[in-house]
Amino acid sequence: MKCAVDIESRDVEEMYINIDPIQAGGRLTADAMKAAISFGDGYSVCDNCRNPPRLDYIKNPPIAQYHADLAAWLNMDTARVVPGARRGFQAVASTYVEKGDPVILTSLAHYTEFMAVEAAGGIPREIPKDELNHITPDAAAEKIEAVIREFSRTPPLLFVDHVDYQFGNVHDVAGIIKVAHQYDIPVLVNGAYTVGIMPVDGKALGADFVVGSGHKSMAAPAPSGVLATTNEHAERVFRTTQAKGDVTGRTFGLKEVEMMGCTLMGVTVVGMMASFPHVRERVQHWETELAHSQAVVDALLSIKGTKVLSDYPRQHTLTRIDTRESFDTVAQQHKKRGFFLSSDLKKRGITGVIPGSTRVWKFNTFGLTEKQIRHVGESFVEVARANGLNIV
Amino acid sequence: MSKRAVDAVFQALFLLSDLRYLLRETAPRHDLDEAQKARAATTLEKVKRQIATLEEELIR
Repeated sequence: MKCAVDIESRDVEEMYINIDPIQAGGRLTADAMKAAISFGDGYSVCDNCRNPPRLDYIKNPPIAQYHADLAAWLNMDTARVVPGARRGFQAVASTYVEKGDPVILTSLAHYTEFMAVEAAGGIPREIPKDELNHITPDAAAEKIEAVIREFSRTPPLLFVDHVDYQFGNVHDVAGIIKVAHQYDIPVLVNGAYTVGIMPVDGKALGADFVVGSGHKSMAAPAPSGVLATTNEHAERVFRTTQAKGDVTGRTFGLKEVEMMGCTLMGVTVVGMMASFPHVRERVQHWETELAHSQAVVDALLSIKGTKVLSDYPRQHTLTRIDTRESFDTVAQQHKKRGFFLSSDLKKRGITGVIPGSTRVWKFNTFGLTEKQIRHVGESFVEVARANGLNIV
Repeated sequence: MSKRAVDAVFQALFLLSDLRYLLRETAPRHDLDEAQKARAATTLEKVKRQIATLEEELIR
């Protein structure tokens, strides 16, 4: 069925259980779907924009209140919605990093953190991960010392991922921040896989900035996200424009430079807002999500030769699995080669595993029902058994 | 101007969104339990009422 000329309707979520590692937390709630229907037009939230003419002051729909609620929910002082976590990284890097500055991130950092540093003219330096695929406070301290020796100055910013996208491991962010603060380095916590998925308390972590992704973890349309900070940093990162036209003499009031004035002006912000009550509620059920994640991982581990590369027992719903000694041995002989796995799963109503992947791959069980979790676990085992693998 | 027709369009779309969400929750087999069936039935009845309103407002 087409939704427009040459555009097929997308019914992936209605037809399949989708375990794609990056899509799970961004699936819309029913309320966000309704908001999308109502606010699809371009500048739809601007009907009641008054003075000062800025997104976070709009009272109808209650965008101003949403900003306050977001900050409070993350236990930070101030928040802005941004077009994706990456634009939050960019706003902070652009504010704090000068050309040639070293900036610390980690060997598990998302590529957009590197892009943000590069765009600001900074030089990335990575904290190495340990043998358990963790970023530790000790490793952070060593790297900070090394960077100070190399550049003869302290880095102006450190990025750390609360949960990394490669393994879905939870890192000791509070410990790393404590170390960074001993050097007066502000820390940006990338919460793309935590904000909206599990409880996040910015002050408890000691974060200077918390960035979340609307479309990855807050059940919102893309591109959307949040940048939250403390009173100490808000004035600087959310500074207002001082620009003045030399011909017209125009000035631009309270528009914030790093936000390019207004950010999410329609379906994205209203989608975030519509999902917010559900998101606030769902993070309270994190233990159930972990139990679901564990159940599917255990089903996979019952297939002889399968290994989990993420922390075990699971502390997140995103998992990296190694099936080189199980499903990949089937792929070597199968007429569909590595495509047999995604194909067999699809026949059972499961999608999201990259077609062709039978070696090392990732999946995410977030948001699935108990029944769906059972179906996913059983399907992996059935596919294994049907292809002659041993179940232990 | 028919505010009633406009409201009925939105209301019907919102109700259909609830059904869409139900399809997601029950994918891939869409085997609805008794509570889900009852929810679907109630929603469909409400959709029919909105359609009836639209017929009254737009084509009668």
